[in-house]
Amino acid sequence: MADENALPLTGRELLETFPRYADLDEHVSVRELEPREARTVPADEVLRPALAANYPYDPFIHQARALDALERGENVCVATSTSSGKTDVYALQVARNVLDARARDAESTAYVVYPMKALAQDQQRELSALYDRLGLDIEVAVYDGDTELGETRRRIREEADVVISNFMGVNTYLHNHDVWSRFFNACDLVVVDESHTYTGVQGMHVAWILRRLKRVLDYYGSDPSFVCSSATIGNPGEHSEALLGEPVTVVDEDGSPRGRRDLVLWNPPPTERRDDGTAADRDGDEDGAADESFERQPASVEAPRVFSHLTYHDVRTLMFAPSRKLAELSVGRAREHRREYPRYYTASEPSAIEPYHAGQGKRKRHTTEQSLKSGALDGVAATSALELGINVGEIDATLLMGYPGQRQSFWQRIGRAGRDAADALSVLVADYATLDQYIIDNPAYLLEGDVEDAVVDTTNDRVFAQHLLCAADEVAIDETDAGEGPDDAFADRDRLERAVEMWRRAGKLTGHLETGVSYVGPPRPQTDVNLYATDDEQYQVRVTEDTPAEQEPDLEPLARERAFRDYHEGAVRVHGDQQYEVVEVEHGREGGSSQPFVRLQPVDVDYYTRTRSEVTVLDAESEESREVNGFRVHFGTGSVLVHHAEYDRVRISDNERIGTPIPTELPPLTMDTQLCWVEVPEQVERGLVERYADYRVPDLPPEQQSPHLGYMGGLHAAEHGMIGAAPLELMLDPGDLGGLSTLVLDGHLAETERAGSADEGGATSAAGDGDDPGSVEAVRTALEARQREGHLERSASGWFVYDGVEGGLGFSRAVYESFEALARRTRERIDACTCGRTEGCPACVMDENCGNDNRPLHREAAVDVLDHLLGDADERALAPGETDERRPPLFYS
Amino acid sequence: MDGSSARLLALPPAVVADRSPDAVADARDYFDPDGVWVLATERAPRAHATVRSATGGAGTEMPVVHTPLARDDDPRHDRLGSGDGVDVVSVGDSAALPEVGRQLRDGAIGVVPDTTTFVVCPVAVEVDATQLVATLPAAAALATLASTAPGQVVVLSDLLPADYDHEWTLEAPDGDTVAVRIHGLGATEGYGSRDVACLTLSPSGAVGTERVGADRFGLRALEGVGPRTADRLREAGVRSREDVRRTPLRGLTDVTGVGRDTAERATRHAEVLDSGEPLRLSTSALPGEPAAAPPLCLDIETDGLSPTVIWQVGVYDPAADEHHAFTEREDPDDPGRVIEAFLTWLLAEHPDRDLVTWNGNRFDYRHLTSFVERHCPEYAAEWDAYWKHDLYDWAVRQDNALLPGRTNKLDHVARKLGYAGAETGLDGAATAAAYGRFMRTGEPLDWDRHEAYCEDDCRALWHVYEALREADRRDGVAAERERTTDSEQAGLGDF
Repeated sequence: MADENALPLTGRELLETFPRYADLDEHVSVRELEPREARTVPADEVLRPALAANYPYDPFIHQARALDALERGENVCVATSTSSGKTDVYALQVARNVLDARARDAESTAYVVYPMKALAQDQQRELSALYDRLGLDIEVAVYDGDTELGETRRRIREEADVVISNFMGVNTYLHNHDVWSRFFNACDLVVVDESHTYTGVQGMHVAWILRRLKRVLDYYGSDPSFVCSSATIGNPGEHSEALLGEPVTVVDEDGSPRGRRDLVLWNPPPTERRDDGTAADRDGDEDGAADESFERQPASVEAPRVFSHLTYHDVRTLMFAPSRKLAELSVGRAREHRREYPRYYTASEPSAIEPYHAGQGKRKRHTTEQSLKSGALDGVAATSALELGINVGEIDATLLMGYPGQRQSFWQRIGRAGRDAADALSVLVADYATLDQYIIDNPAYLLEGDVEDAVVDTTNDRVFAQHLLCAADEVAIDETDAGEGPDDAFADRDRLERAVEMWRRAGKLTGHLETGVSYVGPPRPQTDVNLYATDDEQYQVRVTEDTPAEQEPDLEPLARERAFRDYHEGAVRVHGDQQYEVVEVEHGREGGSSQPFVRLQPVDVDYYTRTRSEVTVLDAESEESREVNGFRVHFGTGSVLVHHAEYDRVRISDNERIGTPIPTELPPLTMDTQLCWVEVPEQVERGLVERYADYRVPDLPPEQQSPHLGYMGGLHAAEHGMIGAAPLELMLDPGDLGGLSTLVLDGHLAETERAGSADEGGATSAAGDGDDPGSVEAVRTALEARQREGHLERSASGWFVYDGVEGGLGFSRAVYESFEALARRTRERIDACTCGRTEGCPACVMDENCGNDNRPLHREAAVDVLDHLLGDADERALAPGETDERRPPLFYS
Repeated sequence: MDGSSARLLALPPAVVADRSPDAVADARDYFDPDGVWVLATERAPRAHATVRSATGGAGTEMPVVHTPLARDDDPRHDRLGSGDGVDVVSVGDSAALPEVGRQLRDGAIGVVPDTTTFVVCPVAVEVDATQLVATLPAAAALATLASTAPGQVVVLSDLLPADYDHEWTLEAPDGDTVAVRIHGLGATEGYGSRDVACLTLSPSGAVGTERVGADRFGLRALEGVGPRTADRLREAGVRSREDVRRTPLRGLTDVTGVGRDTAERATRHAEVLDSGEPLRLSTSALPGEPAAAPPLCLDIETDGLSPTVIWQVGVYDPAADEHHAFTEREDPDDPGRVIEAFLTWLLAEHPDRDLVTWNGNRFDYRHLTSFVERHCPEYAAEWDAYWKHDLYDWAVRQDNALLPGRTNKLDHVARKLGYAGAETGLDGAATAAAYGRFMRTGEPLDWDRHEAYCEDDCRALWHVYEALREADRRDGVAAERERTTDSEQAGLGDF
């Protein structure tokens, strides 16, 4: 390895030269990850002579394997690290297809889909350059919302060999597919790039768009192969098969080379609790964690210092910040750091560092990309906008301001440094939050090689029903679309028939499966597809009349749940760099005759708002269950009643609440969704109630205390902890999940599920009268009534985890399937938390959206419950209860 | 058509709120209804007042109904139309439906015996996509109405679009099932337009629907006049099409935002609409001209908008005044037969003729070409070689002519130009539905009637084509006619 590959500053050297604390190595660790040699296969063993002759490299083994699988007509998922040459896999396959077709005097086309328009332009250039080098006349064109209408588009459709687009485009262009007939007729390959990004709501929509695309391609007689190009995720085969609805061959053994990498885990040292303004974010970021008992410097303050130090030593650095504002602020803070230590940073010329984020103009971003590539810049502070593929040349170091929430994302960002065999330096500056601290305490979690599973689920019927309308508009639905199972044909027969009948009654479809079902609703149903929502009852985002155009936020319409939670009247939200207050909300009317919207006004205030949500679960029905060490875990569906009843104003500078909670005046929302729950066995419950019977919840009046509150605090803490720890196992955001812990599960289950159903006689739903419960409070009152009548005696206690989106996302299903693994992570996190408090802290069991003000919470009890679940409970016998008091029918979200 | 029938114009308050009284009066003139219902989607006293004042007049007792303003809960009964009339009962809430049933049964509402009673009521369909179920929240009330009322009842709903027509099977209070037909009254959405509907109700229960774009009335009906321009014209005292025609160009261009071009177009269009005479706007030749023989007029029938079969191809030859129909009467699963029969005939009999359609670029040619490629690829090149003209495209999209008629639908335009159609009583949706039934159940169609319907469209197309050929041009010079006085005038003008 030549000197040019060596780092200007290694991990150890960073530690040794950084000014300030002598005890830095108590909080910072350095690991050296071994380099990896390239493993290749001679080009002529993989490619035909015409291609091998001009292809400048020997393919890596993963490229070779993928190309072999494609040759056999299989679909392929290439799940290897960034810059491992995944593009060349499909570029070469296209070349093969084109050469074969031209030999028969025919055509071959390929449809390549990227998640971002910016990537599309880059890739068009890269593919064209490769084809030039190979001496092939293959036309590659981008076709998306930015493509000029009229002649330009027509020419691309009728002449291009490779069309690059994004999924919104693919969705829309299916409407008049006959103008694409030549292209679809000859289509032999469809490429889904960065396929790991399609999860959750977006993943569901993409899965259906791909199924609709396949139908239309089939109508034109095409049966193309699919290539999914993915970052490393825990389940590439399962994920891409769910996305495509077809079997997929996974190629994940990475043959690309990697230089030596120094991985530095940097936990900012604790500060004294002095009011120097540096203990909290100044920027209104809503994950402000400042707990009063002790603090560490937040990553937003510490990371720019490291950034400054690295760039001073000519280490070309890419820093990832969690928001645009922080990316911008970091540049200033980096400069400040040097001024703070003038004796150390003696060189007078400042480093060239720039921010980068999606809020900047295209030209500015392009200039920054080019300058980074050319070496004109020493460092860039960027948001996730630079995480995916854009080529930025040789970077020496990546610096992460806080853990990005997923190992998958962590390695993706780290991987931006040190292309090919060059050495690289990677620094993670941890934040004072659950996951970051977990990683500092358990670095093996990062290094053990496993990454999170990506979840994509096609069982959400709402989303299916919407895409069914589009499919009927494209090609009439008939018997050939009805399959025997979820991935057979377009949809399962029973589901298809029910959906067709529903839409027929609603006047949107007409006809019968035997002879063809057509779409008869308002034109272009494809335009109603919003990749980020599951509901078509979306709230448009508008501004007040006097808002200047440049301050208009560029926001997609909001799903109802989101509008209720985050955009109620009086809410203050940050978008881009601007604060907005919601000044008006219109909910639309019966019969759907008016468009719901929220109206924003730009403001500049010293607080942000945080909504308190009260939740309860109703009518849960179990579809599957299993036993784990005496506990019973269930997966099923149910109704979640969410009431975003009040909100707080929180001062930005110190995260202190201002005043008392303000009512939102919103009605509760009912959502039908998927959920999983766990039942605690009776003797465990009794034993733990006894063990923690003396616990008193701080600040609660004596008459509200009860011997059950300690145990209840354990359930509540376990539920919060499990949701907080879910990202350790699954690719999701904790905001996608909700939870509820309860002493009386029966209060939330459908009649047939209840343990005590024989006792109940006439009583039906939790609200006691079978009608829609008006509020969470009403449910509580009804439960108390049932409790008094003795109906809840035999109910078990436990907690729920549910998908926060109507119809479900597949996440709670994934939680159900990895329940034990998740419980173990949760237990580790809660037990190891250095806060030392029984009531916990934001890093372990507190949840900022808790509708009960984070009470009661009991860490030890939570660990105890989880130990029993995992079969690790210590041998202390659980004393049978002396506590005779009836359980209060308590539930907390 | 049997006996008497009545026309009911359904106006959504939101549409009325958006328009001037003049536009509403224009709609009344156009549709000539027997009653106007201002839909109960919201409580709209101003809209109701506007409609009343726009449709009132000496001697007219035309009912204008807006149930949210009713002073009590009693069902309202109107008998509309001439002859025996058609009974329409209106209520503002579905909870009142059982009472309607009772009053019909007990004779408190007196209706013409053995006829259908139409009940206007806000009824919605609730779609629960998470459960994949569509239900009627008012199901119980509807079932009670249907089982209690002695005769047949059809429910017209303020909350459903006018193209909604579905028969629901509901459980009656006595446990039996009862069928309830629900038809919508509300605005529908087309490509870039919202249409209001006028329903033709017949005592037998048949419901015909005519839909016209909401902005095809009043000033906005004029080419080049949008909502803002209409407002400004009205502010300047130009309130109707009549006013536009009477105001000199100068007076129009004085209005802000109205340039000379807009003023000319608007005036011309006003004249076209009122005279019923089309006007050519350019010197472009008609599509298919000049040629030795007129183009063949083509029309197709399919089983829906995403067709699985083109089951009829109609071709009218104006030169010989002959019509040929190629119809699939036996085997709808083999879409190739009709295509092949049509193409072999066409290539053999008329190898050198051009083709013309109405909106063929978006529909007829699009689907024919697709089906030819799939089922008769051996003729694809020859089919491709034919010149395929689209008169609608030429006139409307390419701005070569102004057509009288509120919509650009072929039957409306042809009718305005004096075409007397065959009155088969069918429309596109009805033929598609009938063929769909045939495909499923084998229930044969009245083939002659459906072929007559298609032939009617082809002849109507030719009628419009001829009318455009004869039409005056913008510069006042007649397109084809020789003016015998021309030469004299030119002579005089030479001096």
